Amino acid sequence: MSTVEFRKDLFADERDDNLNTIGKPERRQDILGHVTGRTKYFDDHLFDGLLHMRCTRSPHHHARIRSIDTREAERMPGVVRVLTGKDVPVNLNTLLSLMNFGKDDEAVLAERKVAYRGEPVAAVIAGTDREARAAAAAVRVDWEVLPHVLDVEEAIAPNAPVVNETYPNNTFDYHDRYDHQKLRFGDVESAFATADHIVEGRYSMSPIEQAPVETCGAIAAPEGADRFVCHTSTQALFFSLGTTAKLLDMPSNRLHFIGGTVGGGFGGKVDSIHEPLAVLGALVTNRPVKYSWDREEEMQVGAPRGAEVWYLKDGVMRDGRIVARQFRGYFDSGAYTRLSSYAIIKGTGHLPGPYTIPNVSSDVFCVYTNRTPATAMRGFGITGVDFAIERHMDKVARRVGMNPLELRILNSYRDGDMKPHRRVAHNCALVECVQVVSEKSGWAIGPEFRAASSMTGGGGPRAEIPHTVTDEDGRIGERRSGRAGTAPRPATPARPAAAAPQRPAYEPQPYTPQPYTPPSAPQPLYQPEPYRPSAAEPHRPKPPEPDTKPKPRPEPAPQPEPTRPFDRGVNRPGASRFISGTRRR
Amino acid sequence: MTLTVETVPTVADAARRLGTGVRYLGGGTLVMRALNYGDTSVSTILRSSDPALTRVETSGDRIRIGAGVTMAGVMASRDLEALHPVARVIGGPAVRNMGTVGGNLFADPPYGDFAVALLVLDAMVQVEGASEVPLERFLGERRGLVSAVTIRRPERGAFRFRKVSRVKPKGIAVLSMAAYLPGAPGRITGARIAYGNMGPRPIRVAAVEQALEGRGLDAGTIASAAGAALQGVSPQTDPIASEWYRREVAPVHLRRLLEAQS
Repeated sequence: MSTVEFRKDLFADERDDNLNTIGKPERRQDILGHVTGRTKYFDDHLFDGLLHMRCTRSPHHHARIRSIDTREAERMPGVVRVLTGKDVPVNLNTLLSLMNFGKDDEAVLAERKVAYRGEPVAAVIAGTDREARAAAAAVRVDWEVLPHVLDVEEAIAPNAPVVNETYPNNTFDYHDRYDHQKLRFGDVESAFATADHIVEGRYSMSPIEQAPVETCGAIAAPEGADRFVCHTSTQALFFSLGTTAKLLDMPSNRLHFIGGTVGGGFGGKVDSIHEPLAVLGALVTNRPVKYSWDREEEMQVGAPRGAEVWYLKDGVMRDGRIVARQFRGYFDSGAYTRLSSYAIIKGTGHLPGPYTIPNVSSDVFCVYTNRTPATAMRGFGITGVDFAIERHMDKVARRVGMNPLELRILNSYRDGDMKPHRRVAHNCALVECVQVVSEKSGWAIGPEFRAASSMTGGGGPRAEIPHTVTDEDGRIGERRSGRAGTAPRPATPARPAAAAPQRPAYEPQPYTPQPYTPPSAPQPLYQPEPYRPSAAEPHRPKPPEPDTKPKPRPEPAPQPEPTRPFDRGVNRPGASRFISGTRRR
Repeated sequence: MTLTVETVPTVADAARRLGTGVRYLGGGTLVMRALNYGDTSVSTILRSSDPALTRVETSGDRIRIGAGVTMAGVMASRDLEALHPVARVIGGPAVRNMGTVGGNLFADPPYGDFAVALLVLDAMVQVEGASEVPLERFLGERRGLVSAVTIRRPERGAFRFRKVSRVKPKGIAVLSMAAYLPGAPGRITGARIAYGNMGPRPIRVAAVEQALEGRGLDAGTIASAAGAALQGVSPQTDPIASEWYRREVAPVHLRRLLEAQS
């Protein structure tokens, strides 16, 4: 067994080593339940008269729904109800609508068309899982198969099929203006013109499944006082509650959500897919309903970490200093938005990685394709581009003939440096990490790199926001209409027409690389003034559009008497009449 | 529509009861997994309490293994000592306690490693109500209710087995290999080589067997056997490994299998 080695010699004066918890071993609060098998998961709650829900899913990547015939399924043994999109009170949502980000673009049960293989179109509620499966297979859907697109770069071409009608350009709309998220810091084109080397690379990653041991699911049951209890595997209980309240057009105080135990999450249990359908099932049947995925659904329909494609272009001086870095990234959001739009904003704040580069530019696209929608997974938005950045650093090191560890120390950010998203870096530690790697791996670095520190050499002119060239490229709809290229920028581009500077007080000036002078403090080129965001109107969330759609509330069915007396029943006032116990005590 | 379980006293009864929607349950490691994942083609699970199913008997140079003998049962049998290293790498302890020799013959890739070992031990399959058939032929059809498998009692030190997986100790096999080399390291007579996960079912590799037959297990023989390792083999691409990868590594693992000290 390897052991953790604490390098307490580093940053000793920045840290208090006499804290009660941090730096001390601590027993996880839930570990005792896990190792003794007493932890209760959502599926360990037993309900009398539990009904099971299974979905009829699209066998096509992209298809129009001409009609859905549920008559045969409704006559199948054990079937209590078959739900389609028209049974969902508000059948359109986007996960981040709860924080006013993005437009509603995804139905709970598709009504007019499906945009990925496995998209649900009907939900069968039956007495047993087996009966529900058989009836789900008997739902007849008349499909009109449409052309599909599975690749991000093909999806942004002008003639690509429209995946998601809310975003007809196949890209998420950023700030109501652009089809991508921009980052501009300095002037990359001028810096490329003066750099000794231009190093380019393309990096791509496949989707990754979170593969939890417990597949996603929820059980909902009627409670007293016209409420519903919902036991769920969710990682985001109040997301699930808010989403359910919105989709079912129901005040959230009628929902009693119980979560807290997740049988493996890793980001794959934030999408709030199960709770709305389980509660809707309980609402229309007035009985407990369980909706959970089997393993195949978890793999096919469960949202993975999305695929990404990144183009990087660096301007590098002979001594290894990176003077400019340009990114162009494509996130494969799948058919709907979920969380990829947000992951891009998070990732953009991370650029250009833990390095201080005076000129940085980035365009990142959230692209819709006919693949399973992508969602969160451990550091999403960062992980993919970090892979690209670190592969690219090695490529740069080879081009300039430099030790890759020394290249990283040379370009590493130091305390006090300005990051391209206009925040000053502090508590930097990359230099020290690379030094320890060098020491542990026996990969030698020169004495000046061994002597380097994250705490020196930063700030001063490196703390300034450079004169920044901005542009208006990539307005929403431009690319789609063929008025803008879809390919990455050419290898040796002509300098684009100088755009108006972000702050008119500064005339555009060609970038002149400064010699690398680590510790001594050179004269600042100009007095920095506090950063102000561009004069463009700030992004304001649009007021919600009035919902003209009628919202049928299903008639509450008469409360059936339980078929068996409760031998282990719960008589707590307001508790669900259906609770009959638990699998674990 | 509901699922029922029937238990019958003899294998013969079970064989008569088989039919549409009726699936025989050995240890359940395949059938129960399919049911849990929504296989609605099964409406009846059939079991048999026949004690013959779980017996291991030796007569002459043949060993009869009841189809219901579990991997744990193999490991507990002194007669099957040569197969202990094979049973030990099938699944984890839970699977070994339930998974049976008979069921292993019905396991699709990437499972079915035990059948690979049986292939080189001249296994004959007893299908209830029919005559014995060689395992190789049985694997091509996989029909009927298997009551037992008989194997040749292996010559000491002549049997070798290798399961190659990326996750240890209980990963799924990239490929598995078995060899029966009577006489090795001297002159080999009756060489048998089998691969698992190098195609849709476990196979014997005639080209390698010919390269070994009648020769001593020296460097030259091993080199020519490794050279013939992929003849007549068409491995598949699946989530465990690509066809290319299997082609690259199979000769290497065959060489290691042959070079290993018995």
